Amino acid sequence: MSGNWRTWVVVALGIAVLSAAIYFPILRKRVKTTAKITEPSEEQARRELTQAVAPNPSDPVVKVKMFWVSPEDESALAPVTIPLALSKDPVLRAKQVLNTLLAGPVDSDLRTLPPDAALLSFYLLPDGSAVADFSEALATSSPSGIQSEQLAVDSIARTLEANVPQVKRLKILIHGQELDTLAGHVDLTQFFPVDTKGARLGAVSPDMPGNIAVPPVTAANNTTSVPAKR
Amino acid sequence: MLDPAHGGTDPGARGAQGIRESDLVLDLAFQVRRALEAQGFQVLQTRSGNENPSFDDRSTLANAQYGAVFITLHVSSTGLPGTVRVYSMPDSFASVATGGVIGWDHAQAPYVTLSRKFGDAVQGQITQRFKGSPNNSQSATIRQLRTTAAPAIAIELASVSVQDRADLDRMMPGVGDAIARGVAEFRPSYVVPGPAGARP
Repeated sequence: MSGNWRTWVVVALGIAVLSAAIYFPILRKRVKTTAKITEPSEEQARRELTQAVAPNPSDPVVKVKMFWVSPEDESALAPVTIPLALSKDPVLRAKQVLNTLLAGPVDSDLRTLPPDAALLSFYLLPDGSAVADFSEALATSSPSGIQSEQLAVDSIARTLEANVPQVKRLKILIHGQELDTLAGHVDLTQFFPVDTKGARLGAVSPDMPGNIAVPPVTAANNTTSVPAKR
Repeated sequence: MLDPAHGGTDPGARGAQGIRESDLVLDLAFQVRRALEAQGFQVLQTRSGNENPSFDDRSTLANAQYGAVFITLHVSSTGLPGTVRVYSMPDSFASVATGGVIGWDHAQAPYVTLSRKFGDAVQGQITQRFKGSPNNSQSATIRQLRTTAAPAIAIELASVSVQDRADLDRMMPGVGDAIARGVAEFRPSYVVPGPAGARP
């Protein structure tokens, strides 16, 4: 009788161990799956942030001007007019036109911004100062060079100027950070004038006067016009 | 003051066959220096080897010179191969100079008009040799120029996308000579006052 009892205990323990060996891997897989669902990855979070602003059915369809590379001159921008449902709210409107600019023109050779770049957020202050925060790809995927970087920045500034009149000047951030340059050349530490009315970036050089005197600058000459390093 | 851009861990634009902007501009600086010295100019460089001084370190070297002009040399990753563009800061940048003390971050502001004139002189000489280049200098908000207190321009050759580096090497003596001629053309219009009390 006692031998039978021991046998049953050993069998029961064996079944328990076998069940655990089968069930624990399944349980671990379920826990991992649940964790993935409840805790979105950084990439998922960013994708949610950068989702294009869905047009409101009540938004009127208007003709917007997008600035991409000119088909005639690869060193210049040209406006392309397209119909787009635009919000009346300037921040939503800015997001809509910048997302359209990022999506690029039909001819991908004429795009000014890298295809993997995304607008993360856009802020507009009452004085017309705007801050556009783009993903890292804007800096890492833009071709390095003065011309290409200036075209990228100008396309953003001119598209905002044409479609969001509330924006007067623009600061570009990369993933929330201020960078020295876009891709090694064009300065991102300053605000770019947007509503310039003639003093636009990349303006054609006017005739200059003849002799122009400037204050001398030497390290030892600390007059009022000498730049002082902060 | 010649500034071969990039260097060290920053290769700048990169093209086929391992072409690196940082190497090209160092060779270009040698050609430009030779042409300028032949015209009687004293030439200094922000780097002579594979170092990468900061933007501010390069500007510091230039700002310590009296009566200097500043030329930063670049090679693009895009653009029509065989062309050369000259850039200076946009006119809108001059508006930050409203008198009083000018901060380091806006050192270029009082020189924007002069820099444009300097750029046009150099671009004019370059375009005579390199067809397809623009007739006038262009505006661009270039980080290196912003903190430079002198007539300052950026010169960019197109481009590292060439199949053979020899195509760019062949341009360099002509670019150097055109820059030297442009500097000589600009020189009479650059009136640098002497120290306080001295006759200009």
